[in-house]
Amino acid sequence: MKYSKALEKTTSLIIALILIIAIIAAAWFATRPTAPPTTTVVEKVYIRFAGWSAGETEMKNYEKIIKMFEEKYPNIAVKYEVITQMFHENILASFGAGVAPDVFYLDSAWAPIFAEKGALYPISDIVGQDFINQFYDFLLEPFRGPDGKIYGLPKDWSMLMLFYNKKLFEQAGLTKPPDTWEELEEYAKIIADKTGKPGLAIYLRGFNRYMPVALSYGAPKPWFDDPGDASWFDDSAVKKTMEWYINLYLKGKIEREKQGLTPYVVAPQDVGAGWLGDAFGKQEVAMVISGNWMIPFLADQFPDFKFGEDWDIAPVPKGPEKRVTMAYTVALAINAKTENPDAAAKFVEFILGPEGQKELVVKMGHTLPSIKGLENDPNMWPQHKKSLSFKYDTVQIFLWGPKSGELEGKISDIMASAMRGEISIDEALNAMKQTVEEIFKGG
Amino acid sequence: MPKLNLFLSRKIKSLLEKRKSREALEALVLISVVTCLNVVFGYFAAVFAFYLSFFKWDYIGPMEFVGLKNFMVIFKDLWRGISGAYFFQAPFYTGLKNILLYTAIVVPTQTVLAMILAAFANQKIKGVQFYKVSYFLPAVTSPVIIALIFIWLFMKQGFINYMLQFVAPGFAPDWINDKNYLLYAIALVAIWGTSGHFMVSFLAAMQSIPRDIYEAAMLEGAGPIRRFIYITVPMLKPMIVYVVVLGLIGALQMFDLAWVMAGSNGGPGGAGYTMALDIYNEAFINLRPGVAAAKSIFLFALIFSTTYVFQKKYKVMVR
Repeated sequence: MKYSKALEKTTSLIIALILIIAIIAAAWFATRPTAPPTTTVVEKVYIRFAGWSAGETEMKNYEKIIKMFEEKYPNIAVKYEVITQMFHENILASFGAGVAPDVFYLDSAWAPIFAEKGALYPISDIVGQDFINQFYDFLLEPFRGPDGKIYGLPKDWSMLMLFYNKKLFEQAGLTKPPDTWEELEEYAKIIADKTGKPGLAIYLRGFNRYMPVALSYGAPKPWFDDPGDASWFDDSAVKKTMEWYINLYLKGKIEREKQGLTPYVVAPQDVGAGWLGDAFGKQEVAMVISGNWMIPFLADQFPDFKFGEDWDIAPVPKGPEKRVTMAYTVALAINAKTENPDAAAKFVEFILGPEGQKELVVKMGHTLPSIKGLENDPNMWPQHKKSLSFKYDTVQIFLWGPKSGELEGKISDIMASAMRGEISIDEALNAMKQTVEEIFKGG
Repeated sequence: MPKLNLFLSRKIKSLLEKRKSREALEALVLISVVTCLNVVFGYFAAVFAFYLSFFKWDYIGPMEFVGLKNFMVIFKDLWRGISGAYFFQAPFYTGLKNILLYTAIVVPTQTVLAMILAAFANQKIKGVQFYKVSYFLPAVTSPVIIALIFIWLFMKQGFINYMLQFVAPGFAPDWINDKNYLLYAIALVAIWGTSGHFMVSFLAAMQSIPRDIYEAAMLEGAGPIRRFIYITVPMLKPMIVYVVVLGLIGALQMFDLAWVMAGSNGGPGGAGYTMALDIYNEAFINLRPGVAAAKSIFLFALIFSTTYVFQKKYKVMVR
């Protein structure tokens, strides 16, 4: 009896406790402000900053710089939120739910859609023109709205370049990297024949990797926001280069293997690698065209494969018209609905200013600084410095219009299908046109 | 004395009533937490998805009512697929076709395999515990990890092809990169990953079959295989229905294995593209959550009708 009474008492207590917790939780949820409080009681402003992370070092560096910022501006506190997976999906969902962060990373390919929907605060309204003038102009392009205002400031950038294995080149009797697209294919063949290793690795899915070829042959600048823009694929330079690019794999891999020869072009998975950097680092291929992000990867994963001695970089090959490379950039953008645009802008200025970029970009060695004047910083990695010295006629930003992500994915699927020989090149070009028409027809 | 009795019985009654109402309160409190979670993340999400399927939205701007337009996108896609368009021009059709084939391979195989494994695990043999644990191990491992391990095993120069050369010399497909084998590779991983889980269900059901039926059959001279076919299998019927229904639900909405092994675009020739992948791409790459919601309603209808028809046909109570 005593025991059951005690049990009853305990049960009642537990129930009471659950109820109290539930009530407190409910009250907290009900009274919780939808946006972070801008309370004047402590006279402190809170901003939320969301980004993905390229690793623990980057996260720690950000934490360090945020601390420095908070020391400089004691009335602003920054909550750093790292979204490790599916960043843009998360940001979109947070906009849908009305709880988007105040400052967040924004990939160039996503910028037009965010700007068009009024999700971004025009940074150029708060930040001075002098500050904006520090950035490379072509990097601002994707973040410029139709009204001429700037809706995001690039935090860093990368560009494509040619990585080549000096030892394999030597074995094949080659003394210099290829300078034209024809030479690229020719050298790849020579290397395959002489060393037994494929000369070049490319992605089957990669509309953006094909783009420098098209532009260097005089194709018009790609911009798709209307069904009529599908005519881009009718351009003679586009047709010619698309055929060449698809044939690289069709002839270089599929046909060569049928003939019992070493393929001179492969995809990373053909040599048991996850991506181009992996294939190059494992020395399974002699050349790849990839971005600055490959440099820290090689240094970290293949420390015995040394820059300068074993491998080097060269400009992306040129076409008959010009030399073109692709640039990829990510900006810091401010949420249009932020309650503290000034604090958010101060934070953006701090992170993207010379001090911030020296710490976060130059020293880290992952990417290139987005403001001018840091090229000769003593902390700049020599590989990155060399990449900045290459001369290009056009630097094309990864941005094909308001639906860049969808377009890139769908056109790349078609390219891959043609490269595997599932559809003909003409069918592929028609399918690409049809894709553009459908995406912008709406529906 | 009778007065006292009456008093006592009243007292006991009121105490009991009090206890009853208290028990009800306790039950309500305990249930409320899970119910709240279920309402918010289950029912609300489902109702919202249904609502969303009639709207055009891009997450950021306001929603715009479009009636049945989102469903028209699906039927156009299906029509195009039936008329023989390439896989990338009719992604939903590709996903549907693939997932039906995948389900037709996975569900029967995993059910039969689980039953056979359970029959072995039900024997009084040495080391049976070890077998039970090793069969069940995949069920407690993350499907993503399993998929990653299998990608490695399925490589052209990988372990599976190495073993195959002893069984079928000269047969060494590039499982992951060949559109003719990719879906089968994914199905194989799924079968391996889920059979152990369903084995436990079958094992529990087998252990509840009364021994005397077997004894009677043995007296009649029935051997182990006949006993399995004529006693075990019929007695397991409710459990078979349960396993098939759960298997159908799991297979038709498969996402994780395809995502890891084929990639979000479904891999070569779209061979690993599933309806769930298409719903994801529609929502987060094409930024058409309304169309994605309509597609998920289609998937729901498919799962509901298949499982309903199956249960109706076999008329067994499934718990």
